[in-house]
Amino acid sequence: MTLALVLVLAAALALVLIVGITISTRIQLSPSSALARKVEPIDIEAFRNLVSSAENDYLRRRLPAGEFRSVQRERLRAAAAYIRVAAKNAAVLVAIGQTALSASDAATADAARQLVDNALLLRRNSTIALLRIYVALAWPQSALAAAPIVHGYEQLSGRAMLLGRLQNPAAPVRIAVNP
Amino acid sequence: MLQAHSILWNYLWVAPDLFLLTVAFLIWKRGLSRELPAFLAFAILAALGDLVVFGADLAPFVSAPNYWRVVWVNLLLGGLLKFLVIGEVFSRVFTQYSSISRISRILVSGFGACMVLLAGVIAGFGHGDNPQILISGAHLLEQTVFIIETGLIIFLFLLAAYFHLSWDRLSFGILLGLAISACVHLATWGIIANASPAEHTRTLFAFLNMATYHLCVLIWFYYLLIPQKVVRKSVVPLPENNLTVWNRELERLLQQ
Repeated sequence: MTLALVLVLAAALALVLIVGITISTRIQLSPSSALARKVEPIDIEAFRNLVSSAENDYLRRRLPAGEFRSVQRERLRAAAAYIRVAAKNAAVLVAIGQTALSASDAATADAARQLVDNALLLRRNSTIALLRIYVALAWPQSALAAAPIVHGYEQLSGRAMLLGRLQNPAAPVRIAVNP
Repeated sequence: MLQAHSILWNYLWVAPDLFLLTVAFLIWKRGLSRELPAFLAFAILAALGDLVVFGADLAPFVSAPNYWRVVWVNLLLGGLLKFLVIGEVFSRVFTQYSSISRISRILVSGFGACMVLLAGVIAGFGHGDNPQILISGAHLLEQTVFIIETGLIIFLFLLAAYFHLSWDRLSFGILLGLAISACVHLATWGIIANASPAEHTRTLFAFLNMATYHLCVLIWFYYLLIPQKVVRKSVVPLPENNLTVWNRELERLLQQ
């Protein structure tokens, strides 16, 4: 009887979850122009400094161990905040790119496909990087390997600008603040 | 009316299968058979399998053990086809993007293996609702198939939601129908296989299952028959000079 109850509850939860996801996905569908406004600019240089291993080594040499751990935690939290914004931007860009996939113009469709692919890659990398950061928050001495995120984000920024320019030359989508 | 072998009972058993065969015909007629081979196979074989079980239920020359053997074969075939359909929907939504194709395959395979293990453990805990293993085993098999199916469908919905991937109309319709069917069937078979309900309650559950399946077939019908709204997009004509400028900017960013 208990097993039956557990299965009924699991089935009910599953149904609610699926209906919820379906409804929220439908509600989130907004025009590309509105979506583009949700993209937040990110200062890549500041993020690069936060995850720089040379900077970490310098701080480790200069600061006492206790202070270094405290500073390192703050830096990791800041890096995580950047990555969360990057992941959010990537999600928005997936949506923008997907709306442009069916464009009749081959160049736009191709740029859209590349943008979606890069945005998905960034979202995947962001998840892995965030996991690494949370591990590093627990053990501040461990090396933080978030470098691929920086490279991925730069690529994505370029793709987004290209697609923005292709669709509307007057209003490019800018997601990275370049130095 | 809500009794076994009433008119409503017979309708709910036969009509969804006839509708499903019509869905299969429409898929073939619209040239979608190459896009949806697994779903086409499911629509034909699952419908025919169900009709064979219905015939075996009515035919006086089919003994009770033979009827349950037919049920077993139909269950195994239906279960296999449903997993193929889920795999087909997964391919349509996820494997077109090279950046997540491999990782999503690994994740779905791993999650599927976990679900098989979990469903096996839950089936192991089930005491069976009938002394005859042929009957209680069939009920546990139903429960096992629907546990794995529900888990996989939820995982696909969550994965797509996480990556903000949009569904094409047909894939979404197919998976939504399977999801509703799997959730309701999981609940009813969970009760039937583990709580040994009274005969009248079992009949009511059978009605619920058949009505849900009917609804799901109608959902597939809807998504196949009603065309997707065409959204008109105003794409600005591309000045050649802008492309060059932005390509140069892109190359500069990539070389940093």
